[in-house]
Amino acid sequence: MDIRKRRYALVIDSRKCINCKACAVACKAENEVAVGNTRNWINEDRQGEYPKLRIDFEPEQCHHCEHPSCVRVCPTGASWQRKDGIVLVAADDCIGCRYCMIACPYDARYFQEETGTVGKCTLCSHRIDKGNIPACVETCPSKVRVFGDLEDPTSRIHELLATRRYHVKEPQTGNGPQLYYLL
Amino acid sequence: MHEFNWGLLIVVYLFLGGLSAGLFFAAGLANYLEVDGRPAYPRIAQVGAWLAPWPVALGSGLLILDLGNWYRFYKLFMHFRWESPMSIGSWLLTLFTVLAFVYAFAWLPEAGRQKLFSKVPPAWKLVHRLNVDLSAHRKTLAMIGFPLSIGVGIYTGVLLGAVSARPFWNTNLVAQMFLFSALSSGAAALLLVLALDKKRPADQRDLKFLVWMDVIFISLELFIILPYLIHGQLSVLAVKQALTLILGGPYTLVFWVFFLGLGLLVPLGIEISELAPSLLKGQPFHGDRRLALTASGLVLMGGFLLRYIFVYAGQLSSFRQAGVLQ
Repeated sequence: MDIRKRRYALVIDSRKCINCKACAVACKAENEVAVGNTRNWINEDRQGEYPKLRIDFEPEQCHHCEHPSCVRVCPTGASWQRKDGIVLVAADDCIGCRYCMIACPYDARYFQEETGTVGKCTLCSHRIDKGNIPACVETCPSKVRVFGDLEDPTSRIHELLATRRYHVKEPQTGNGPQLYYLL
Repeated sequence: MHEFNWGLLIVVYLFLGGLSAGLFFAAGLANYLEVDGRPAYPRIAQVGAWLAPWPVALGSGLLILDLGNWYRFYKLFMHFRWESPMSIGSWLLTLFTVLAFVYAFAWLPEAGRQKLFSKVPPAWKLVHRLNVDLSAHRKTLAMIGFPLSIGVGIYTGVLLGAVSARPFWNTNLVAQMFLFSALSSGAAALLLVLALDKKRPADQRDLKFLVWMDVIFISLELFIILPYLIHGQLSVLAVKQALTLILGGPYTLVFWVFFLGLGLLVPLGIEISELAPSLLKGQPFHGDRRLALTASGLVLMGGFLLRYIFVYAGQLSSFRQAGVLQ
């Protein structure tokens, strides 16, 4: 299918998350992320005191926004967006000014000391382009993450977003985030 | 602890960039003002022109050093991205720095210029072609430089203000705040230099002009800071929460005591008390050297602290976790 007619996104059913962090490990292994940096992580929301304690887990990563502020502020065009919505960093053009890291409302980017450039989640674009799904999605044992193409009416995420209630994080920043959290 | 992506080098650069913009503005203005057909403040025009290019040149150097890959800085000039304040700013900064150097050159006296070029090997003919007298074009150069210097002064604020993810910065008042702070620190730096020069005591008229300028710009800055605080309190929750960084949070003391108190109100008070006798009673202005040194030093410290507070506190502000990152 023509790449322009695709819009990749993730649907996250955080109630299924058991905080095993397999997604983070799979991502590090797949993308050779240096120690100390993470492309995806799990937020823990603790409420109450023992024994009346409740913890919610919520996986997060780059939201691959529709209007990414990181791409807008980049002075060299190193931060860019594919036509299918994936936000990437062209390492050769990155001068390491870290403006994108400051502009990201989700703090989803990190600075790589060894290369002096900025790194982030690529939604495993190298796997997607071969017809595979992102490593974090593939590895998740409780099937928290669902990857798919919003433009494809037969896809699972299309069905989930049509039938379930969901929310996105910090929509007020105007970035148009594409991580959909099921309620 | 949340990591700071931008640190002290950026703070120093924002301060130095603004300082140059202010120096150029004050010097250019002094060049235009005349009394009875003669330049009214020739010394300010000259000293300001000589000083203006250096801080911004040093600041730009620091900015490049702060990059993860400093040798890739040329890539900033391979693209023009009008949506990125940093891209526009790099071009603006370069144009301004070049013009400020040309303007400083135009103010070199004939002897100084010849001495400078006598150090260049005679074989470098292209360089010797630059040995031209630009003194007749000072006003034109200053006129081109005004919008550039104002642009640099505003840009340092826009760089922060354009980041919608940081509620502490994301208001339309930061740019003006930084501009007026830049213009006032330029006037204060000139006041400091003239007051420090013991060999050639400053003319009272020059001092009065600079003190006046400083009073005007500090007052304008105050009129921006006040609505910044009020508007922030009346704004959406994230902005209100972000302001707790200076209203009870870790930057409260440095904001209220060192920046607003010692960096703005005290020098404003000193300068107004210096001007008062000549304003109210018609007495001739008599500036005290020590007071001028104190006031100008405090204004420069305030200008630096404003950048310090905004760069650091702004990075801690967020739309998440009650507006402030831990």
